[in-house]
Amino acid sequence: MDNIDGSIRISTKRRGNKLGFWFFKFFLNCFGLAGAYGLLYFVCLHYLIFDREAVSMCLSYIKRRFPKAGFFKMQLHVYRLFISQGKQLIDRFALISGSHKFNIQLNGYDDLKKILSAKDSGFVLLTAHVGNWQIALTTLKKMNKHVHLVMRPEDNNAVRESLGIDSEDESISIISPEGYLGGVVESMSALKNGDIVSLMGDRKYGFEAVEVSFLKDKAYFPFGAFSIAASVNCPVVVLLSSKVSKDKYIVDISNVIYPKYEGPLSKREQLKKYVQDFADILDKYVAEYPYQCFLFHNVWEKD
Amino acid sequence: MGDNKEQELQVIRRKLKELLVSHLSLEDIKPEEIKDDEILFGEGLGLDSLDAVEIVVLLQRNFGLEVKDMNQGRKIFYSVDTLANYIHDNKK
Repeated sequence: MDNIDGSIRISTKRRGNKLGFWFFKFFLNCFGLAGAYGLLYFVCLHYLIFDREAVSMCLSYIKRRFPKAGFFKMQLHVYRLFISQGKQLIDRFALISGSHKFNIQLNGYDDLKKILSAKDSGFVLLTAHVGNWQIALTTLKKMNKHVHLVMRPEDNNAVRESLGIDSEDESISIISPEGYLGGVVESMSALKNGDIVSLMGDRKYGFEAVEVSFLKDKAYFPFGAFSIAASVNCPVVVLLSSKVSKDKYIVDISNVIYPKYEGPLSKREQLKKYVQDFADILDKYVAEYPYQCFLFHNVWEKD
Repeated sequence: MGDNKEQELQVIRRKLKELLVSHLSLEDIKPEEIKDDEILFGEGLGLDSLDAVEIVVLLQRNFGLEVKDMNQGRKIFYSVDTLANYIHDNKK
């Protein structure tokens, strides 16, 4: 639930318990990544059979990504999606704990550097619940800019851990979308200072959503990132990551959108075009990496 | 002194209302129809997140003001009256 003038609440059920995490840690330490991955096949089967809520949360995506699949094939896709997400969670833990090093290939960095050197303002970094976005965010440190993550306080700890942010790290800070006006003012101020503001493009938080086409169906994505960027006159850089092998991730920042208002259409209508551009980028991504899309909320349903 | 401030506030309120109507998605509303103490967001005038961004830009472009401390945000963006007071007290 969200509201422009007040509280924003999206409840997220946490799965797993301390004993479960201990087992994964144990397998990771004793048998490496492959060992911990092996455990996933049993755990995910358990979730597939007994956690119907988790299954139904994935189905809105799976049904649209694999429209011709029958019931059993659909369950298989859900199972593969669970395993894929599990692997990326293990990777994240392995990265934080330092038990494993990953090869992270960054695409589009040089072009982005050119864009940044030509402008004083910062940019909006738009990401989504696809791939291992927390691992992808670690690449931000390379940009040598202050980064403001717009995220809910309850996500702080997990993301702080993923990025290795400690209380003394002054290069990354958090803007809460649950604050007044959804963190709009802080975000605009940060961009004007030349900083990076990172937002999730598939979560509304305090912003309204517009109707776009995603996976050949009407979906609702927020326009907040684009309205802020258009007002500050800065680009929106789309950040996507994909796991391409056991040890390798590709982080892509080559998609850059320049939102601006021009012409007679209302601002809302103009922003819709940019949100559609973002949805098209995601469309292309999920066509290539169908099991790395972790959209566990129904973006095709209008609130 | 008090009368002077009130006169200045009236000018700011009038300008603010004109700017809100011309720049925001307020359809079929005339500036004089907006009440000074009408709540801007949610209930009241019904402004949304896109309008919030626009108001921040309006404040900067027309009054040279940048709101950075959002601890004050709720008070400042509450109504035309609170916005006008903020502009009056902070304009350069």
